[in-house]
Amino acid sequence: MKKLIISIAALATLSYAGDIMKIDVKTTCDVKKNGVEKVLAVAKEYNPQAVKKGLEFKRLGVKNSAAIKAIEATVKAKKKEVVVEVKKKGKVKKQKFALDFATERACKFAVRALQQDVEADSTYRAAIPGDGYKY
Amino acid sequence: MVKKIIALTALSCVTLMAADFNAQAEKDRKDLIQYFEKKFSDPAGKSRSFFPYVDEKELKDNYIKGLKWQDFAKGSYSYAKAAKEQYLEIIDVPPYDDNIDNGEELYGKIKGLKQCFPDPAKAATEYPKFDDKTKQVVTLTGAINNCVVKNGGKALGWKKGKVADIEAYFAAQAKEKGLKIDVKIPSKEAQKAYEAGKRYYYAQRGYIKLNCANCHVQGAGQRVRKENLSPLLGHATHFPVYRLKWQGLGTLERRMGGCIKNMGQQPPKPNSADTRNLIYFLSYMSNGMKIDGPDVRR
Repeated sequence: MKKLIISIAALATLSYAGDIMKIDVKTTCDVKKNGVEKVLAVAKEYNPQAVKKGLEFKRLGVKNSAAIKAIEATVKAKKKEVVVEVKKKGKVKKQKFALDFATERACKFAVRALQQDVEADSTYRAAIPGDGYKY
Repeated sequence: MVKKIIALTALSCVTLMAADFNAQAEKDRKDLIQYFEKKFSDPAGKSRSFFPYVDEKELKDNYIKGLKWQDFAKGSYSYAKAAKEQYLEIIDVPPYDDNIDNGEELYGKIKGLKQCFPDPAKAATEYPKFDDKTKQVVTLTGAINNCVVKNGGKALGWKKGKVADIEAYFAAQAKEKGLKIDVKIPSKEAQKAYEAGKRYYYAQRGYIKLNCANCHVQGAGQRVRKENLSPLLGHATHFPVYRLKWQGLGTLERRMGGCIKNMGQQPPKPNSADTRNLIYFLSYMSNGMKIDGPDVRR
């Protein structure tokens, strides 16, 4: 029984890894080709998984989840500029991004965080002296 | 006689098994020592190829050569001449002395600490520990917090303040006695935690697509602006650390969080399994090195 559970879990992991690796971020996250809504939906689908696995990307103090929230608000308000609030040393600063650019990046960040983790399974040992790293 | 033989055989089996659990970790540690000793044997000459982006003149003028294992306890100050000179000036009047005094006072004052850590110096050497009951790694910060809460107090936090001061007192005691880091991997589960920490360290993460080793193994010694990157070997010896950037003392958990943030990833919580396992791996790599904390870093 235990073996069966382990096998099912391993299969599920493999299928998840296969699915996420099939995504081509360049085309999937292309706002011009797919539109903001569709690309945003991809970001919203994958970023929570990245958060759950502790892999969420963060750039210039902005978590990808915060960026996604701000993009959603911008789309709702039918504006073209995304404003994200960033807390730094007790002060709140506003960062502004163009909607297309922010959406594309949020999508790429969400998917790549997960893909990078799958890739790491086969690449991390290449950095270890005495193992995969030769000098 | 037969009983004695059985007991001895059983004891040897247990010892052998315990030794088995850290076999891979020991190999990793020894390989790492070998790597760093070779890398810093002669940066301007024989080991030049380890520093592809560093200027000849800089390698000649600013790098100390012929480093051995224990030298790396000083981090980048073991090889960066200019930084070492500045460091020596700073520790003429150590900025963390008040923290050690405060830590000693808190150790006497906070209920339960004396019972949980009867030998503060030893505590500084043997954490992080693997708790076979909870099947998880407990860092020194975690152990102090657990102890305080168990005795009816409020957790002291994870990054700075009282908890860092108490750790400073523990580390200072260990340093005074010349004690060394002595992290153990006592079971299969502990081995798994170590391997998870190792993977976390060497796996690429964040939007910058770096792993920790890019800077602190392969990149150790190279410069990022004016700072020489520190080596993984000896990373755990000098905590809690007084960072000039922080203008205060911080725990290993605090430093890990900052480093991961710099890699472009939201850092894991200081008491998360990721952080604990990472600290377990990191500390094991410094096993056998003298405790040198608290100390100053930029």
